[in-house]
Amino acid sequence: MSEQNKRISKRGLVKAYIDWVFCSICLMNFERMMAPSLVRMVGRVREELYPGDPEGQKELMERHEVFFNTEPYFGAVVPGIVLGMEAEKAAGGDISGELINNIKTALMGPFAGIGDSLLMGMLQPILLSIALGLCANGEIIGPLFYVVALLGIMFPCSWLLFQYGYKAGTNAAHHILAGGLKDRITQAAGVVGLVVVGAITASYTSVNLGLVYQQGEMQLSLADSISSMMMPKLPVLLMAFLSYYLMVIRKWSVQKMMILLLAVSVLGYFTTVLAV
Amino acid sequence: MTLLQAILIGLVGWLTSMYAPTGLVGSNSFGKPLAAGMLIGIILGDVTTGIILGAAIQALYIGVVAPGGTLPADVNYASFISIPLAMSAGAGPEYALTLAVPLSMLGAAATYAVVTLNLYFVHQQDAMIAQGKLSLAEKMPLLGQINNFIFRFFPIMLINYLGSGFAAKLLAIIPAQVTDILKIFAGMLPLIGFMLLLKMIVKRRFELVFFVFGFVLVAAAEMQIIPVVVIAAVLAYLDFKYSGDRKEGSAI
Repeated sequence: MSEQNKRISKRGLVKAYIDWVFCSICLMNFERMMAPSLVRMVGRVREELYPGDPEGQKELMERHEVFFNTEPYFGAVVPGIVLGMEAEKAAGGDISGELINNIKTALMGPFAGIGDSLLMGMLQPILLSIALGLCANGEIIGPLFYVVALLGIMFPCSWLLFQYGYKAGTNAAHHILAGGLKDRITQAAGVVGLVVVGAITASYTSVNLGLVYQQGEMQLSLADSISSMMMPKLPVLLMAFLSYYLMVIRKWSVQKMMILLLAVSVLGYFTTVLAV
Repeated sequence: MTLLQAILIGLVGWLTSMYAPTGLVGSNSFGKPLAAGMLIGIILGDVTTGIILGAAIQALYIGVVAPGGTLPADVNYASFISIPLAMSAGAGPEYALTLAVPLSMLGAAATYAVVTLNLYFVHQQDAMIAQGKLSLAEKMPLLGQINNFIFRFFPIMLINYLGSGFAAKLLAIIPAQVTDILKIFAGMLPLIGFMLLLKMIVKRRFELVFFVFGFVLVAAAEMQIIPVVVIAAVLAYLDFKYSGDRKEGSAI
């Protein structure tokens, strides 16, 4: 069915989108996760879909009571697709409520995965790392940069995806999920992430060696010898490798790692191997 | 800390918590410890210190991922309680960071409480739809905010208001040795956050050379972050091109 036959006005679409971006996880719960917010979102445009038809509106909202969970912002394409299908159904298209729910359920998982890895695994850490690099002495540009960059990227992205989902329906999902472009972008972004994280590891972590060897008049400081050789931050890099080995390869938990670091700090302090 | 300041911090803390009706503008942006530090700094009248403390906590929690909306740790209490308490006691980042760790666990507990209590409103929504009260059903996600408000606003506001005097007294009697140990500990703690991030980004182990490269650019070449990002972007472009070639089978 063509786009002209869909009943939701541009204004209605914007209303639903805004609602989704602000309220998608408002009533998060373990039973059905984001479902109550999806009910609310379709409820926002129920008059446009089923004008003067309380039964139709009721069925519309009831239909989305079932479990729903995805990543809200990159995954905004899914509620977009839902609205598009609902609009076709309301306009008399041959779409059953069951089909809408099946497609919704099939798509929410993949988009949760993509969204989480792009937003929380890539975009946020990279922007935060840059921001941290900008405010080592508490400069306000750091947090401002982060907030402006994140919102400046995510609002347009989520709106375009939402709209695309509405217009292209299930084709949208096919286009996004197929094709290797996403993987290549993710991999390239990973390179930026790694370099930047390496950079802030150097500026935000410190391991200072305190060991001083003294014989008569002569004083030998281990920290000085390392700095004169190559770089003063070498102990940090070694500690980073140790942490990587334990946390990533040996799969230590965060708690275990924290206890180890605390023990190292206490021992290091009293043996004077480590200094402030 | 005045009552008004505590109330403001409580309100901002609630509005930037995970399940607040601020969505994208909330926990993902202003709710990050770095940005929270700025907001707290504005409220308490010392933006620079707020950002320094926020940055210290942010470094630790940079790699925290909450897949599917579940939380291993919660940065809301960690930011909105430990930053103001450390600030009003005049304590350094090592104290804010040390305080943040247990608070993040407490915050996770609060999150679970909210998510559980929310079920009442979920079932109310079902009931309202069944009765045909559609407008009311539509409002349930907003009405349900009462749970989140109770578990965010009140603990943050009360602990800040009642605890700031206590925190200062506590700090005064802590021996210098403990402070030194905490400084050493706080120096290494961000490694955990960074490694969690690497765990996610690194697909093949040789990619760690990019990490070392970035590290050396700052540690040895003392480069600022902007040039580092530019160099990283160039490398990423080459990687993007190269990986494309390989797919077409022309290289390797």
